[in-house]
Amino acid sequence: MAWHVDAELLQAYEDGSLTPSRVMAVDAHVQACAACRASVPAEAAWLDRTWLAVADTLVADRPSPVEWLLRRSGLPEHRARLIAATPALRLSYFAATAAVLAFAVAAAHTGQTGARVTLLLFLVLAPVLPVLAVATAFGPPADSMHEITSATPMAGPTLVLWRATAVVGPSMAMGVVAAAASPGPGWWAAAWLLPAFLLCAGTLALATVLPLPTAAALLGGVWVLVALAVSTSAPLVQGALFGPAAQFGYLLAAVVAVVVLTLRRRHLDPGESR
Amino acid sequence: MTTVRMRDLRKRFGATTALDGLDLDIGVGVTGLLGPNGAGKTTLLRCLATALAPDHGRIEAYGLDPADSRQRTALRRRLGYLPQSPGLYPNFSAAALLDYVAVLKEIVDPAVRRAEVRRVLEEVGLSDRANVKVRKLSGGMRQRLGVAQALLGGPDLIVLDEPTVGLDPEQRMLFRALISRLGETRTVLLSTHQTEDVGALCERVVVIRGGRAVFAGAPRALAQLADGQVWRSAGRPGGGAVYWRTAEGDYRTLGEQPPDGVAVPPSIEDGYLKLLGPAPAGTTR
Ligand SMILES: Nc1ncnc2c1ncn2[C@@H]1O[C@H](COP(=O)(O)OP(=O)(O)OP(=O)(O)O)[C@@H](O)[C@H]1O
Ligand SMILES: [Mg+2]
Ligand SMILES: [Zn+2]
Repeated sequence: MAWHVDAELLQAYEDGSLTPSRVMAVDAHVQACAACRASVPAEAAWLDRTWLAVADTLVADRPSPVEWLLRRSGLPEHRARLIAATPALRLSYFAATAAVLAFAVAAAHTGQTGARVTLLLFLVLAPVLPVLAVATAFGPPADSMHEITSATPMAGPTLVLWRATAVVGPSMAMGVVAAAASPGPGWWAAAWLLPAFLLCAGTLALATVLPLPTAAALLGGVWVLVALAVSTSAPLVQGALFGPAAQFGYLLAAVVAVVVLTLRRRHLDPGESR
Repeated sequence: MTTVRMRDLRKRFGATTALDGLDLDIGVGVTGLLGPNGAGKTTLLRCLATALAPDHGRIEAYGLDPADSRQRTALRRRLGYLPQSPGLYPNFSAAALLDYVAVLKEIVDPAVRRAEVRRVLEEVGLSDRANVKVRKLSGGMRQRLGVAQALLGGPDLIVLDEPTVGLDPEQRMLFRALISRLGETRTVLLSTHQTEDVGALCERVVVIRGGRAVFAGAPRALAQLADGQVWRSAGRPGGGAVYWRTAEGDYRTLGEQPPDGVAVPPSIEDGYLKLLGPAPAGTTR
């Protein structure tokens, strides 16, 4: 025989730190080699423990990139797992958002009426993408397991707010990057942030009364209409809608939305009557 | 021992009335829920599983009222629920999916969670599929995985919406063994369209129609509703009675006695049809 189970290998085997294939190799060898068999403890409890450890390495999935990132940023393992399962936190969602924004940036750079196109795209798109993210962060139809989730002790406003935050953050960050990469006055890059936050908080507040997709469609739709109207009108109106006074108005409205959300948050629980 | 009380439950979806003043008490043991499509079984189970709030009425389960948010959370800690459409994430492996639900059930310690996942996989005979993605499992295996997630954390109240759909005969038998074992100490409420499931495994059966409980009692009592109305005959029965030709070549009739009919003991299905079915033409009451 070419090799035998030495002390080091035996120790690793006992600790359960071997890869499954090496465990199998050791097992196969020990079956065939009487000398090594004598050196391996055959106590039943020990065998059980070893096998459980091996089974665990087989069962444990590699964490998804999102979960890995969340854990890296210091979240406890179980919380990271909960957030990583958020439907909108799939890479595909971010890929789609990035593609839309990249298209907007490219269009802004090549457009004949560069500034105007940029304004249009950002006014319409940037605040709607986070709203879409919120709409797909929990509940039906985005979360196919919403019924099972509903019946668990974690269900309710806390989980919803964790998930909403987890999707809105990256979504807004991508918008900022895209805005910065576009031609046009610098203030555009930030001008949509308050409206976007208002729309997200408003959607969640409205979701305490209406189904989430309805709430998102309603607020997102209103925004698209207003943004289209504004972007085709005079620059004066644009200033009126994105100037300091308007921004202050968005801030106030957002505060109201947050207050409503806080007061009515228990209605985000599917088991709560509306 | 009564563990769950439901009083005057009402639930409407738009113009549809799904629950129409339903009263029901259930206790430790296995209770089966029968009823035609659209009777309100799923709506009832969703209300009990705290996934839906009734418009009206009261539920009390293990002394807890799901209308109150604290008590609802407390009830969720003691609850296992298999929805009619569980929507298990297709890209999760069986073990990862169970691990996720275990987190939702507040099993925070990873080692405890893994042990629990292993236990329920074992219970439903899926240990060898732990690492298979949900989308690669067969329909029956997926159904068993759905049952497994309901068992995580050892709940006292187990609510299963059509758990035996898609199970092969062997699995159906294993499922019955598992559920009846659970029923020794826990409250199990399951809906089904299989009257054999009810006969084999439920101490109690509840029939609902139009959002109300129209029968609650022992399966035997349900069968007895058709006492003296089930016949076997060599000749084809006349009239509009419900009958079919058996494998032995004679006829089995529910309703009016055929000319050469001999009375046979009714099955649960006979009692159920008698209770719900429109009276076969030709029979008199
Ligand atoms: N979410 C919903 N929206 C609108 N109508 C609904 C909804 N859920 C149930 N209903 C209606 O309520 C009634 C009861 O439905 P439920 O799903 O409770 O029946 P069921 O007894 O489970 O039927 P099945 O045996 O087909 O599963 C039906 O008329 C159904 O169409
Ligand atoms: Mg149903
Ligand atoms: Zn050797």
